[in-house]
Amino acid sequence: MKLYDYILSPSCYKVRLLAALTGTQLTLRPVDFHPGGEHLSPALLALNPAGSIPILEDGELVLTESSAMLVYIAAKAAPEWLGSGDPAESAQIQQWLSFSHRLTASLGGARLVEMLLRPGDLAALQASGVKALRELEAALAVQRMKGDIFLTGSKPTVADIACFPYVALAPDGSIALDPYPSIRLWLRAVRALDGFIEMPGIHRLHELKPEPAKETA
Amino acid sequence: MFPNNWCKWTPVALSADVPAGTVIPAWTPTGDVALWRSQSGQLSASSDRCPHRGMRLSHGFVRGEALACIYHGWSYGRDGACLRIPAHPDLQPPASINTRNQITTEREGIVWVVNEAQDEPPPSFDGYWPLRSMTFQASIAALEAAAGAKADISGLIRCTLGGETAFLLAVTKGEAETIVHVLADKNASLAQRIAISQAGEQLRRDAESADALEGAN
Repeated sequence: MKLYDYILSPSCYKVRLLAALTGTQLTLRPVDFHPGGEHLSPALLALNPAGSIPILEDGELVLTESSAMLVYIAAKAAPEWLGSGDPAESAQIQQWLSFSHRLTASLGGARLVEMLLRPGDLAALQASGVKALRELEAALAVQRMKGDIFLTGSKPTVADIACFPYVALAPDGSIALDPYPSIRLWLRAVRALDGFIEMPGIHRLHELKPEPAKETA
Repeated sequence: MFPNNWCKWTPVALSADVPAGTVIPAWTPTGDVALWRSQSGQLSASSDRCPHRGMRLSHGFVRGEALACIYHGWSYGRDGACLRIPAHPDLQPPASINTRNQITTEREGIVWVVNEAQDEPPPSFDGYWPLRSMTFQASIAALEAAAGAKADISGLIRCTLGGETAFLLAVTKGEAETIVHVLADKNASLAQRIAISQAGEQLRRDAESADALEGAN
C-alpha cells in the first residue's frame, strides 16, 4: 500500500497511526504540501481531483478520504478495529467517522490559519471547534460513567483514530484543551496503545519507558 | 463560591480526573497549577511553569514519584525541589530551583488547593457523587440565573438538571469564566447521572447566552 503523505498533516497521520497499530506496511510517498503545493500538481490531481491528501493506493484501488482508508486498513489487517459488528455500535462508529470531518473543518481549519497562514475566519473556526470539543467531551464523560474510555466501548476502533489527531493538535489552532478532563484521559488512552507512533506535536507517553540511565564513559 | 470569607480553599478538579501517574492543568486564584498524582497516589499542585524555561509543567509527565518537564526533562518532587537535570547528570540541583507547590487535599472525590496553611479543612460534600467538571464562558450570576438557584451557605448550588436533583460547585475564573463541578446525589443511578451530565450542556448554553444578551445591552 502506498500512502501519499505529508508529515504535518493530521489526516495523513491517522492512516500512518492505524497502519502502525495494526502492523500494516505502508510505502510512504512524501508530498510537498507546503510550501510546494504539490497536492495541486497535475500528477496528484489525476489521482485525486479534490486536490487533498492523503491518497492511498493499493493495486487498482485509489482512496482519497481518510475515513475510507481507516476502514480499508482495518478490514484487511485487523477487523476488530471496526467494532464487534453489533448494528448500534457499527452505526456509532460511522457517526464518529462523520463527526471527525467536523473536527477537520473546525480545529483543522483554525490550525491551517494559525500554522500555515491560510486564509480563514479564525474566530469562527475556533468557535465551531469548541462546539465540537464540547460535544466530544460530553460523550466521553458518559462513556466514563459507563466504565469505558473509548468512543464506542472499552476497545479502540477506527472512530477513535479518526477523531484523535485533530483533537490532540487543537492547541496549534490556539484552542486550549484545558477545559476537557475526559478528552484528556481519552487522548492518553490512545497514546498508551501498543504500537502507537508520534507525529510532530503529538508525543508518546515518556513515562511508559523507564528513566534513561546515566551514561557511563 | 470559592474561595470566599469562610473558605480559602479552591475546588480545582475531581479526583477521578487525575489518576495515578498523570498531570493535568488546573486553575487557582493564586496562579495556574500542574496538578499531578504520583504513581503511589500522592497528589501535588506545582506552579504550572518550569523554573528552567517557563514551559507549562502540565504538558509534562509523571514518572514514579516525580513530575518531569516535557521540554528538557527537569524533574521535581512532591516538595517542589528539583531532583534531576538530565543534561547535567552529576549536578545536585540547587535548592533554589523549586516549583513552589501549593497545598492540596482531597475530600469525597474533590481536589482542593490553597496557597497557605489553613486551620480549617475544605468542606466535605459527603453524600454526593462528583460527575464532571465543566468550564462556562459565563459569570456566576449568569450560572445562578440559568440554574434558577443561588449558592447556599456551604457554597453548593442545588438545582434540577434533566429532571434530577444536581449540585454545582462554582469557582469564578475571571469576569466571564466559571468552572463548575457538577455533583449528583450519591444514590443516583447511572441513568440519572447521565441525564444530569447531558442537561449540564443545556445549562451552559443558557448561562452563556444570558451573558451574551447582557453584553449586547
